Amino acid sequence: MTTLVVKDEDPYGHGIGGWLSHVGAVLFGIPDTYRRELRLHRPRTIALTIMTVILVTYPILNSMFLASFSRTVFPLPLPDDTTVTFMMIFGIMAIGLNIVAGFAGLLDLGYVAFYAIGAYTAAFLASPHWGSISIVFLANVPQGFPGIHLPFWIIVPIAILIAGTFGALLGAPTLRLRGDYLAIVTLGFGEIVPVVFRNLADVTFNFSLGPLTLAVEHVNLTGGPLGINPIDAPYLPFANVIFNASAGYAPVYLGMFLLVFAILFARNLERSRIGRAWMAIREDELAAEMMGVNTLRTKLLAFALGASFAGIAGSLQASYLGATTSDFFQFSTSILVLIMVILGGIGNIWGVLLGAVALTYVDKTFLPYVGQQLQQIAPSFPNPAQFNFLFFGLILVAMMRFRPEGFLPNRQRAAELAAHTQADVEAKVDQIVAVDSQAETEAAIDADPSIVLDNTGPPPGQDETGPDARSPETTDEEREL
Amino acid sequence: MDQVIQTFIIGLSNGLIFALVALGYTLVYGIIELINFAHGDLFMLGSMIALFLIASVFGLSASTPALQLVGVILLVIAITMIATAAINVTIERIAYRPLRHAPKLAPLISAIGMSFVLQNIANLIAGPANKSIDNLFPTTNLLSVFGIETIAVTFQQAFVAVVTIPLLIALTWFVDKTRQGRAMRATAQDPDTAGLMGVDVNRTIALTFLIGGALAGAAGVVQILYNNVTVWNLGFRFGLNAFTSAVLGGIGNLSGAVVGALVLGQINAFSDRYLSANWTNAIVFAVLIAVLVFKPTGLLGQQLADRA
Amino acid sequence: MSAVEPTGQPAANTVVRPAAGGDLLVRSSGVTKRFGGLVAVNNVDFNIPRGSIVSLIGPNGAGKTTFFNMITGFYTPTSGEIEFDGHPIVMKRRNKMRSLRPHEVAGLGIGRTFQNIRLFGTMTALDNVRLGANVHLKSRWWDAALRTPGMLREEAENRESSMDLLRLVNLEDRAHAWARSLPYGDQRRLEIARALATKPKLLLLDEPTAGMNASETRDMTTFIRRLRSELDLTVLLIEHDMRVVMGISDRVTVLDYGTVIAEGTPTEVRRNPKVIEAYLGRGAADT
Repeated sequence: MTTLVVKDEDPYGHGIGGWLSHVGAVLFGIPDTYRRELRLHRPRTIALTIMTVILVTYPILNSMFLASFSRTVFPLPLPDDTTVTFMMIFGIMAIGLNIVAGFAGLLDLGYVAFYAIGAYTAAFLASPHWGSISIVFLANVPQGFPGIHLPFWIIVPIAILIAGTFGALLGAPTLRLRGDYLAIVTLGFGEIVPVVFRNLADVTFNFSLGPLTLAVEHVNLTGGPLGINPIDAPYLPFANVIFNASAGYAPVYLGMFLLVFAILFARNLERSRIGRAWMAIREDELAAEMMGVNTLRTKLLAFALGASFAGIAGSLQASYLGATTSDFFQFSTSILVLIMVILGGIGNIWGVLLGAVALTYVDKTFLPYVGQQLQQIAPSFPNPAQFNFLFFGLILVAMMRFRPEGFLPNRQRAAELAAHTQADVEAKVDQIVAVDSQAETEAAIDADPSIVLDNTGPPPGQDETGPDARSPETTDEEREL
Repeated sequence: MDQVIQTFIIGLSNGLIFALVALGYTLVYGIIELINFAHGDLFMLGSMIALFLIASVFGLSASTPALQLVGVILLVIAITMIATAAINVTIERIAYRPLRHAPKLAPLISAIGMSFVLQNIANLIAGPANKSIDNLFPTTNLLSVFGIETIAVTFQQAFVAVVTIPLLIALTWFVDKTRQGRAMRATAQDPDTAGLMGVDVNRTIALTFLIGGALAGAAGVVQILYNNVTVWNLGFRFGLNAFTSAVLGGIGNLSGAVVGALVLGQINAFSDRYLSANWTNAIVFAVLIAVLVFKPTGLLGQQLADRA
Repeated sequence: MSAVEPTGQPAANTVVRPAAGGDLLVRSSGVTKRFGGLVAVNNVDFNIPRGSIVSLIGPNGAGKTTFFNMITGFYTPTSGEIEFDGHPIVMKRRNKMRSLRPHEVAGLGIGRTFQNIRLFGTMTALDNVRLGANVHLKSRWWDAALRTPGMLREEAENRESSMDLLRLVNLEDRAHAWARSLPYGDQRRLEIARALATKPKLLLLDEPTAGMNASETRDMTTFIRRLRSELDLTVLLIEHDMRVVMGISDRVTVLDYGTVIAEGTPTEVRRNPKVIEAYLGRGAADT
């Protein structure tokens, strides 16, 4: 029992009522907050306001004035509706990967797997794929239409759940591994999932146990290499709006809507006890564990939550495009999202958003534009749009070399990345001039080759080194990216 | 039964090629704890360079006289090995050495970037389609000499063994017996102390990359002469298999890499034959994940380069 | 200039708990830790009475920190038993020694500091302390994501009690400074504040006065005594400074080469010839 400091008034309330009144207070407090910000940081607030207004109204403006602004007011081509929608989609993914890699410091190279899972969830639940049954519920499709058809706003939570569950399933056995091994395992998962989707087009099996028999013949589970299409587009009945790829700028706002929730969610997590736990784990996992943080569970949470963001993005992408296939989900996509996170500023929500917007623009608008122009000047010159990963690869190498903290750095990550050099060297010096007992320990290790040499350095406050603390693959005391 | 043996022989040849590439992974990991993502793509470059030399520079074909064929192939091997070694050392210099004191994941990410760069360079120069050469070897079955008709060992397969096995032996000798080899082992164990003992750590690491690169180049030559075809993303499949071999055998352990490679060669061959090539990559990944999760030290244990 | 001043009032951190293990807070017997061929801790019996201040001393390499690491669950002993407040920390399951994980041990009520300070350098002092409280906080990730009233209330209380702890160690005006920017003495006290945030019953201090001058050492000694009385803590110290050891310990245990060579009151231990030989004969410790 803790002795609490009892306050006279309790401003927090209880339960749903308390939460709603709190949310209400925040919303109604926005004008006051804005006025205060305007007073305290006038130039910055005005600049941000103008930027936000432009960004939010851009899709509408763009549709009205189309190409006339492009390359006249603005020297480069302006992104079209599809590109901007994908900026939202990738933005959500960048925020998700930022939770995994930026907040918790875990390198996930197979993030695309969860993107795929989200997409195929939408495909299974909003298409004629399961032709032999018909479940139509609140969807923009006549009753009796073959397949399962649920509305988009039900599919998104389901995709979150399923992607998050797979994130937890992948993470549970693997988060004990060291950083680089974990990266490889996630890479593997990122490869296996699309392969599974590609190859389950013709499933036949016979299983019988006593009276129980399960037999399927030539079931097309996942659509195979051709994928699944058409997928129902998100639909808003009240306004009779369809949010698919031929619907102009409306899908952008759907994406923006989801993105806003993603940002809020991530920000709230960041400034909570779990956000602090992630920071601590990233900084010194061992000390965090010693201070009572259940590091395995906390890392697992980061992994699963990050995966669920990709689930949202995937379901949006599939519903927007109206189709999905395993070809959409390659290792390069995982890396693209990673570059967005690194380029923009690892650990910083606004940074990674910037990275997402910038790289989507480069990938979907800028490089194709350059390709077009080059085509006219020098037709035999290779098309940069097809070699986009040449640039992205160079960007990665350059970023790691020159600015690993990204362009909008998170102050802490920047400090960690810089400090690592100095502290690392000092720690090594300390190790070399350690006391006699270290030599004894090493003699013991030499005498018994069954001891695995531990690369993780001495355990807490040790004069004597002990290689048997945890096996080297499980405890990683070094700072990770 | 004949088919099983035949599959086994195919697996053996693949395994030997994997072994050469796996050694590159395991050497580099042993010395700087970096999973060199770009190594498989270096191997692909090796096969591309060899293809270029064979087809365009030397103009070899099936009708080239045998002696000339052998001589030129040796020359191609030498040139390719030098080229890939040089490329590897350069990559180390620009992409990994500056990150030596950065957090461990930084060079890994850099290696991923490098991998994409190498792939795209190959794609740029050679185009996206498969590139092939004509079969240079006679197609007779070597085993027909012994009267065996149902199982075949081709000249290509013999060639693979003839090139890879001496290289493996040479490497083992180098690591065990020479001064530079000792320097490599010492640096792998403890770079700072090795430095204090007078070992030039930078040069030793560069040497490791040089050797790994050379082996990848040799593997590339063998590959193109064995399969007669190469493509810009060849490195992915071979890299995956080679890395899994290294992990399976115990990363950092040279003989483990070879043993793992032989095992993976068989896995590939039998999966391709009896399942479907569509699933082989997934299976290899599954093996990799299983090893990392259940026995990360590998079959022969994670011993450093000196316990080869 | 005193680094620590009495605040006069126990913080919101005061713990009132029923004693589960009786008189002995820590009970351990036959604890051995072997690293391959090297025996770091050899068949040690070690008990800590509730409410006492106990010191663990010995020359460098004697096994003191290894023992600490076993109590906190970082190492699993090769054999032996360790029980904390009636709860077993180490058990034998299916012929294999198993130990609670460190965070579970922290949850039971053991807090510690480190010989080489291990603060979260790029987190603020306040955040370091708030992190310590995580083990007892109840709100879950969805509470955090939605900012429910329960979570907000808990966060506010955590902030309060963390600031109280910072006040206790006289760091409340550095609350928003990065931990690694603090001077050495402040960092040591911050580490203690962080350990206290885990609401421990037992506080393990690993060389708390290392690197301090005489006056700072005196302040730290007074502070440790206050922790015991005001916060109802039991304290286990690893120390090399004999003034501290003799000054505040109720009991002293001496380790050498992983074995207990002496145990008793400070006076008894000081006179023990085996202890004198271990120190002077090896010339490793300072007196």
